[in-house]
Amino acid sequence: MTRTEIRNAETPAYELRGVSKTYMLGGHDVQAVREVSLTISAGAAVAVVGPSGSGKTTLLQLLGGMDRASAGEVLHEGRDLAQMGDGDLGDLRLKAFGFVFQQFNLIPTLTTAQNVEVSLAPRGGTGSTRRERVLKLLDSVGLADRAEHVPSRLSGGEQQRVAIARALANDPHVLLADEPTGNLDSETGTEIIELLLSLSEEDARTVVVVTHDAEIAARAHRIVRMQDGRILTEDPALERVQTTR
Amino acid sequence: MFYVTYMLAELRRRRGRTILTALGLAVGVGLVVTVNALSTGLNDAQAKVLKPLTGVGTDMSVTRPISFQNPGGGNGGPGFPQLSQQERDQLRSENGGSRFGLGNLGKAGSHFSRDNFVAASQLSFPATQVEKISAIDGVSSAAGGLTLNAIHVEGTVPTQAQQEQQRQQFFQGGGQGGGGGGVFGGAPRNINLTNLTVTGVDQTQPQLGAVTPGQIAKGRYFGKAGASEAILDQSYASRQNLGVGKTIKVGGKKFTVVGIAKTPIGGQASDVYLELSTLQKLSDHMGRVNTVYVRANSASDVSSVSATITKTFDGASVTTAQDLADRVTGTLVDAKNLAGKLGTALIVLGLLAAFLIAILLTLASVTKRVRELGTLKALGWSQGLVVRQVTGESLLQGLLGGILGVALGLAGAALISAFGPELHATVAAAARTGPGRFFGGFGQGSVDNTPTSTRVSLDAPVSLALILGAIGLALLGGLIAGAAGGLRAARLRPADAIRHID
Repeated sequence: MTRTEIRNAETPAYELRGVSKTYMLGGHDVQAVREVSLTISAGAAVAVVGPSGSGKTTLLQLLGGMDRASAGEVLHEGRDLAQMGDGDLGDLRLKAFGFVFQQFNLIPTLTTAQNVEVSLAPRGGTGSTRRERVLKLLDSVGLADRAEHVPSRLSGGEQQRVAIARALANDPHVLLADEPTGNLDSETGTEIIELLLSLSEEDARTVVVVTHDAEIAARAHRIVRMQDGRILTEDPALERVQTTR
Repeated sequence: MFYVTYMLAELRRRRGRTILTALGLAVGVGLVVTVNALSTGLNDAQAKVLKPLTGVGTDMSVTRPISFQNPGGGNGGPGFPQLSQQERDQLRSENGGSRFGLGNLGKAGSHFSRDNFVAASQLSFPATQVEKISAIDGVSSAAGGLTLNAIHVEGTVPTQAQQEQQRQQFFQGGGQGGGGGGVFGGAPRNINLTNLTVTGVDQTQPQLGAVTPGQIAKGRYFGKAGASEAILDQSYASRQNLGVGKTIKVGGKKFTVVGIAKTPIGGQASDVYLELSTLQKLSDHMGRVNTVYVRANSASDVSSVSATITKTFDGASVTTAQDLADRVTGTLVDAKNLAGKLGTALIVLGLLAAFLIAILLTLASVTKRVRELGTLKALGWSQGLVVRQVTGESLLQGLLGGILGVALGLAGAALISAFGPELHATVAAAARTGPGRFFGGFGQGSVDNTPTSTRVSLDAPVSLALILGAIGLALLGGLIAGAAGGLRAARLRPADAIRHID
């Protein structure tokens, strides 16, 4: 099912039902996420805000299939991620999700182009086809002329642009960004969030951004506030698309 | 191509660790190459020593030695309890000619000359036994040989009084002569007794026998006029100042020396070699031989053929090349033992250490790269792909280690070859089961009962197979290290890896 079909069918991108996540830390159970229920409609741009340790990154990882819920259900486009095997989850991360990290997480030995290719290589195809796609993506984030540069020769903003290009490489349904502007100055951060949202809006892509920055959160369609692993409030005034609860 | 680029990029980034891992593997592989080259060199050196000993292409020699462990006992009669009456008669007939009475030689003061052949320590048997051995499964060919002592007695017939005196001298000092030829140890002063060992060689099978064309140092092998030709052992020719073209008398008949053969160390060398049929006629041993030289179809057949011969040929003693190898002593054997035991231990320890270093460094590398590998998994790389990436990097390190190791090994082997230490090997003569004491008085020849030595220079050859094997070992080390690292990487949970702070 394409993103447009999903959106037209009003199938939510995510539906979380009583989701909890408990870690063992120093011999004690730590509940990072507590009985969260949340629905995110397809094509929505959602900002998750809250203080450090409120569980927002854990929530993002549960949404991205990087971790499994201790309790409850995380449904992505109707499929329960908890029921999927590691292989299927990996496949889902490769094809359906794009990730942007606070630390950029680029591979320092590879060039800008090769860092984008990291997401394309597992899907196969010829080197020239991949190269064509990589250059198009780099062009879309304004880095066509930096294709052969290694990350250490790029600014923080440029590195995050590379990370966005990498996240969009497989044209994912969902873009998950964890503090994407956390390591950038405010001006660059604004540019990055604009880029991220604009590239997603064009393709009706669902975006979930974890952030501390109220200004950045204000650019999302919807804000989810978290504290102590629970959702405190949601700000429906910022909803710009139809969401299902 | 992308993955290879990524692997190479990672190896370049961790240059120090890559070099350390490769060097660890290189040392292990270098040890394998050097020790194996040394071992091959020692084997070659031993083969050089054994080659003349075994004869060209001869895998076994079959004799029928006489056991003197229980003389006079058993049911078979005194002296040779294991022999049948017929065999005892044969032995008496073959050696009886050596008993000559001084009183029968002629008038006192007259000159006399006698030639006799004695079988010495090996019992002869019909030449048909050669055909029986040829028919055994696994035997490629067999040839008979006859080795005898040719005794020449010459002098003046003593008077009755001299005979009595000389008889007493004989029993006081005689019977201990043995070896060396020349004047018989306890013989009367007016009687000269000389002896030499002579072997009849089956001229129809020149490549199989006591002397082969390959052993000729000067002159040639038997030709068309073989019946009147003789080949001399090098040391005998030297002692007797004989050379090619000279003549020698054996059993009263003149032979032209056509060749000088190298002394086979430790083997059953004789002073003189004649054609078998000639010696059989000359010594009245028609249709009889006392050695069979056997060539097996392959090395793997030797033990089964040896067992069959021992089983089917009563009283036969089979000497294989391995038996001869077991008799080699000296620095060659010491070095071989050292290379065998210490070398193997060095290889095992070296490889274990190298593999361990490679594994630990790969695991440490994975630990350092938790965030990177976790990111790959978060981006959707499958476990197999992550394992392949880590293992591939490790294999490349193994390849580098293998190449460096081969270079180290070649250098080690070149050093050994350059210094080329000379090793010496002593080959003891075969254990004498024959009547050393009994027939010693008539001599047993001058060569075959003396331990002989030779010197060989050591080389350390490196074959292509060894090089490929060594690189294979390094790759195996890389594979094991990569598998250990890859499995650890595969177990990483992307969420934990992303949280990891470098």
